[in-house]
Amino acid sequence: MNQTDCPEVKVPFLVFFTVGIISLAENLLVVVAVIRSRNLHSPMYCFMCSLAAFNTIASVTKTWENLMIVLADAGHLEKRGPSETDLDDVMDSLLCMSFVGSKSSFLAIAVDRYGFFVFQTYSYITIFHALRYHNIMTMKRTGVILGLIWTLCAVLAVLMVKFFDFKFIVICFTVFFIISLATICFLYIYMFMMARIHARNIAALLGGGRDRSQHQRRWGSNMRGALTLTILFGAFVVCWAPFFVHLIIIVVCPMNPYCECYRSLFELHVVLMMSHALIDPVIYAFRMAELRHTFRKMLFCSGWKLCL
Amino acid sequence: MSDFHNRSQLVSTRRSDYVWQYEYYDDEEPVSFDGLKAHRYSIVIGFWVGLAVFVIFMFFVLTLLTKTGAPHQENPDLAEKRHRPEGRLVDINGHQEENDKAFSRPLLDGSPSYFNFYISEEDQAHKKRKLEDKRSSTKDKVGRHLCSSEIEEMHEDIEESGGHQPLNRLIEESKTDRECAFLSHFNIPNFVNLDHSSTLGEDDLLYEPSIILERQSQAHNAHCDTH
Repeated sequence: MNQTDCPEVKVPFLVFFTVGIISLAENLLVVVAVIRSRNLHSPMYCFMCSLAAFNTIASVTKTWENLMIVLADAGHLEKRGPSETDLDDVMDSLLCMSFVGSKSSFLAIAVDRYGFFVFQTYSYITIFHALRYHNIMTMKRTGVILGLIWTLCAVLAVLMVKFFDFKFIVICFTVFFIISLATICFLYIYMFMMARIHARNIAALLGGGRDRSQHQRRWGSNMRGALTLTILFGAFVVCWAPFFVHLIIIVVCPMNPYCECYRSLFELHVVLMMSHALIDPVIYAFRMAELRHTFRKMLFCSGWKLCL
Repeated sequence: MSDFHNRSQLVSTRRSDYVWQYEYYDDEEPVSFDGLKAHRYSIVIGFWVGLAVFVIFMFFVLTLLTKTGAPHQENPDLAEKRHRPEGRLVDINGHQEENDKAFSRPLLDGSPSYFNFYISEEDQAHKKRKLEDKRSSTKDKVGRHLCSSEIEEMHEDIEESGGHQPLNRLIEESKTDRECAFLSHFNIPNFVNLDHSSTLGEDDLLYEPSIILERQSQAHNAHCDTH
């Protein structure tokens, strides 16, 4: 090899293992908390639970795959034996499924928040419609939607791994990624803007005086809202985009040296992808006070009968 | 990485009639690195710089959206898009500051019609209401809209929410010191940033919506307490 080539960057197995275990623990905590506590049985928390479940599957699969790679490199496993390739297929399907599933869960969360928000807009005008959304998005419909998402993901995963061509998979994934990113972006920004109109109109309705301190206070909370949205999208894009660009580069320019240098960072990009499963609960689930309260009860009060 | 190797191997043994179009990481054909003009990691650096610029740009766009800005000229063709119920927002919005046209800025010129809809509606409302007494016009408009279009639904919702006060008294209660009573009857979402609630803002919009619906009957007092 030439002196100027790009050596492959190897990430130690310990990093993969740690990221995988921590993300597994967090997501499992979210899933258990939502399932066990009665007052978290609402559409929003169900979608978050589904997202956490997909992330759990992804982190388990990824960690297991890395374990197998390490074992195979150490010579304990036959790299091309039939059982290993079947297992590889299973793991690839699970990964596809968890990818599509987590994107769909993001979409479902965004659509749920959006739908709720539109109803809230309508409700404050008419003042009495605050309870309508609860009738539209019932738990039964949530269950149906979640069932559809899971079935679709499983079917797609199996089909893709068994039958389709790699290029086709890459194109599908990239298109799905871009569409879901654009939809989520649009929904959240729309809600953000409507929230501002809400705030101003409600304040006008209640007839508060417009003094400087109130204006500054509102500006401060608007900044926080902007920061929250940026974190939400920023994390999504930063964690998933490198991997997607990698997939695109494989298809588009396999022999180009610049592309080769980008591809040499593959393991770093995979770690980024796994760390998205780690930070997802932090930016979605742990920010909700109700869920945090349930965690505290579960983790610290499990032995005592007084904390209920 | 090895799963890609495995897959190519697997396919070549199982389905030899398929021709694989891509070449990926073939160890037998090293990529030549002669005659590189730019730095070898230029794609990587370019990608990350582009990503950082995108995220920062998004943040600035969002913060710009939070500020009040320069007036925006009306789009007359968008004035007829009143089919959504949110169009009534404008009529309640009598109480405007002078510079308070949040979304009326050149940045949103090319944005979807939904956004321009709000801009044009607010501009029209602002121009109409500039010289009126703002508070009374607000109340009148609310009363008129509610009475004219929602009478039947109001009755069933009054029973649903458990409130028993007639509409007029509720409207007259719209003073800041009686916010809590107002909220307790109307169950207004807690993500709205009201006068006293500096700790609540759009953040709550993003993670607290379902909680409001869960505590339908006991939330009336809870809202007061949190505010």
